Amino acid sequence: MQKILAFLFVLLFSTTIMTAQVNPFLENFRVGFGAGVNFSHIMETQSYNLYEDLTGEEYRNTYSSIFQNFGHQYFVQLDYRLMDFLALTLKPGTYTYSFTRLTNIVFQDETVEQANEIRLRYFEIPLEVRYTADLGTFMPYAGGGFTYAHLMGSQEATNQTFIRPKMTLGGAVGTYIDLNYLILDFNVGYHYGLHVITSKANRDDTGSRDSYSQSDIRLNDLSINLSVLFSLQKKSGRGRKVKCKFPQ
Amino acid sequence: MKHSIFLISLILLFAGCEVDQKDIQPENEFIKIYNHPDQQIAYHPAGILELPNGGYLILSGVKVDSSVIEYPHANLIKTSPTGEVEWTRDYDLYAPTPRLFERSGSVGFIAMDLQLNAYAVEINTASGDVAGQHDLGLTNPLYSYVDKQKNLLVLGYDYIARSSWISLFDGSFGLQRSVKVNVNEDLVIQVQKHLNKSGTQFPFFVGEWTEGSQSGYFVNCFYNYTLRTVYFESAGLTMLGNIYSFQTQAAVSSLIQRTGNRYALTRFYSNNNYLLGDVEVDIGTSQNFNDITGQMLPELVHDAKVLSARITVASTPYILFASQTNSNSMVTYQHAADVDSLIATQYHQFNERVEVSDIIQTAEEGVALLGRIYILGKYQRPVLVKLPARTFSP
Repeated sequence: MQKILAFLFVLLFSTTIMTAQVNPFLENFRVGFGAGVNFSHIMETQSYNLYEDLTGEEYRNTYSSIFQNFGHQYFVQLDYRLMDFLALTLKPGTYTYSFTRLTNIVFQDETVEQANEIRLRYFEIPLEVRYTADLGTFMPYAGGGFTYAHLMGSQEATNQTFIRPKMTLGGAVGTYIDLNYLILDFNVGYHYGLHVITSKANRDDTGSRDSYSQSDIRLNDLSINLSVLFSLQKKSGRGRKVKCKFPQ
Repeated sequence: MKHSIFLISLILLFAGCEVDQKDIQPENEFIKIYNHPDQQIAYHPAGILELPNGGYLILSGVKVDSSVIEYPHANLIKTSPTGEVEWTRDYDLYAPTPRLFERSGSVGFIAMDLQLNAYAVEINTASGDVAGQHDLGLTNPLYSYVDKQKNLLVLGYDYIARSSWISLFDGSFGLQRSVKVNVNEDLVIQVQKHLNKSGTQFPFFVGEWTEGSQSGYFVNCFYNYTLRTVYFESAGLTMLGNIYSFQTQAAVSSLIQRTGNRYALTRFYSNNNYLLGDVEVDIGTSQNFNDITGQMLPELVHDAKVLSARITVASTPYILFASQTNSNSMVTYQHAADVDSLIATQYHQFNERVEVSDIIQTAEEGVALLGRIYILGKYQRPVLVKLPARTFSP
C-alpha cells in the first residue's frame, strides 16, 4: 500500500509540473486511487472430494453464499478519454477474495462439518472500456473489460491448491461525479472467471486441520468501488465548465 | 508501444500455459479417504492392485466391534481410475493376508475361515462375486506373494507343529512344494493377536533373490525363537541362511535385493529404525546386522512398518521405501537401484495418524500408496495416495 501511495505521489507531482503546458494527452488523462469491496461467487465446474463414502452416498461440496464472501481491494486508477463518450480505465492493485468451502463427513452418530476458509490475494490489472454520458456533474457510464490477475504468495497451505494466473471478463456500471478539483468514480461490476483457478497438480490439502481436495472452481465476483480521480489538465467545455487552477 | 504489446503477449502466453494444465490428468494424482459411516467398524487395509482395464482393488480386513468373531472379515473396494468407489463387497473369510494376487487374469486374495484354514479366493472384478475358492492346506495365513513365474507363495503358521509354514502353488493353485521351519516356541498367541489386529503387527514379507544361476525366496517369518529373514532356494524350497535380530522385539522390516549379494534393507532395533542402503548378505549363513547402524531414521514411528518396491520411471530403475513418520506423514525414500544413493524423500502430510499398508507401481509409471488413516483421530479407514510418475523423475 505504501508503495502504491508513493507511486501515486510521484505521478501526481510530475504530472502537475507537466500541466504547466497544454498537452492534448494530459488533457484527457486522469489519475487517482480507489478502494472497494467484493463478494466472491464460486462456480464449481467439477467436484473433487477427499472423502469417498463406502455405502454409496455422495459427498457434496457447498460454498458460502455470495454475500458472505466479503473481500476488498485497493488500487491505483488511470483514466484516459479516448473520445468524449469513451474512456479507457486501468485499475492495478491488490484484490483479496474470501470464501468458505463446506463439506460434511457423515457418521452414524455424528456429522462433522468441515469449513475450509480460503483467502486469495491477487495483484490485478483490470482494463475497462466505458461508454459515458455527460449529464453535467454526473457522468454515468456502462462498460466492460478484461482483467489479468496474479496470485500473490502466502504461507497459507490453501494457496498451494490454486494456480497463479486468473483472467476474467466483466461488465460495470457507474458514474463519475465531477467535483471540480477532483472527480469521484463510483462503480459496480461483475467479473466472470474465464478458467478454472484450481491447481490440478496440488488440489489436496491434507495437512491442515480440515483436510480436503479442491474442486475445479471458477472465481467470479461482484465488486463495488469508489475512486478519487484528479484531472491533470482539465478539459474545457465539460462538466460544470469550470477550469481547474493549476500552479503555474 | 511495441515493447509493451510484446511484454503483455508474453505474460498472457505464460499465464495461458499455467491455466491450461492439460498435461495433468485426474487419474494420475489424487488422494482418497474411504469412509464408512459405521463408527463400530475399523478397516485394516492389506493390499492394492491396479486392474488391467483401469481402477483399483483395495483389500482390507474389517473388524467390527460388536461382532462375536474376533478376526476381521475380508472386504474389497473397487474404485475407478480416479479413486471413486464403484462397488464394495464383504466376504465370509477372515484376516486377509497382505497383497492381492493377479496372475493369468485371475485376481483374488488369501484369507482364512474360522477354523484358521487358508483359502485362495478368486473374484470377478466386475462384480466382486467369488469366482473360485481353493483350500491351500495350511493354517494361519500371514503373507502371500506372486513370484516372477506367477507361482503363489503363501506364508502360514502351524500352531500344532509350532512352525512357520511356507507353501508354493502353481497357476491352478496346485501345491508344488511346502516346508515348515521350527519356531521352537509356542507363538500362537502372538500370531493370533497379529491376525485379529489386537497385538503387535509383525513385518512378515516375502521376496525373491537371484545370485548367479541360483534363485529363490527370502521370507520374513518366525524361525528358531526369533523373527528372521530366512533364505530358501526355489527348486526344493531348501532352507539356506538367514538374517536374525533379537527374538521378536527387533527385526528386518523390509528387504530388497540390489544385485548379487548386495541388498538394501530397513530394520528396527532398540526402539530405533535404520536404513542400510547397501549391505552384503551371505545367503548361506546365519548373520545379523545389529551392529551396522546405516542411516538412522528417527522420523519414523516406533518399530515402523516399511514397504519396499522396485519401480521404473522413464526406463530408469529405482528402489522405493515407504513408511510413516511421527508427524503423521507418509514418507517415501527413493534410492538409485544400483548404488547406495538417496535421490529424493517425499512427505505426504496428514492431519491425523496414518500408516502405510501397501505400495505398487501403476501402469503409467506412477505409484499407488495404500494406507490406513484415523479419521478424526479415531475411525480407521483406508487412504489411497496416487502419485504421478513425475514425482519420481529426478
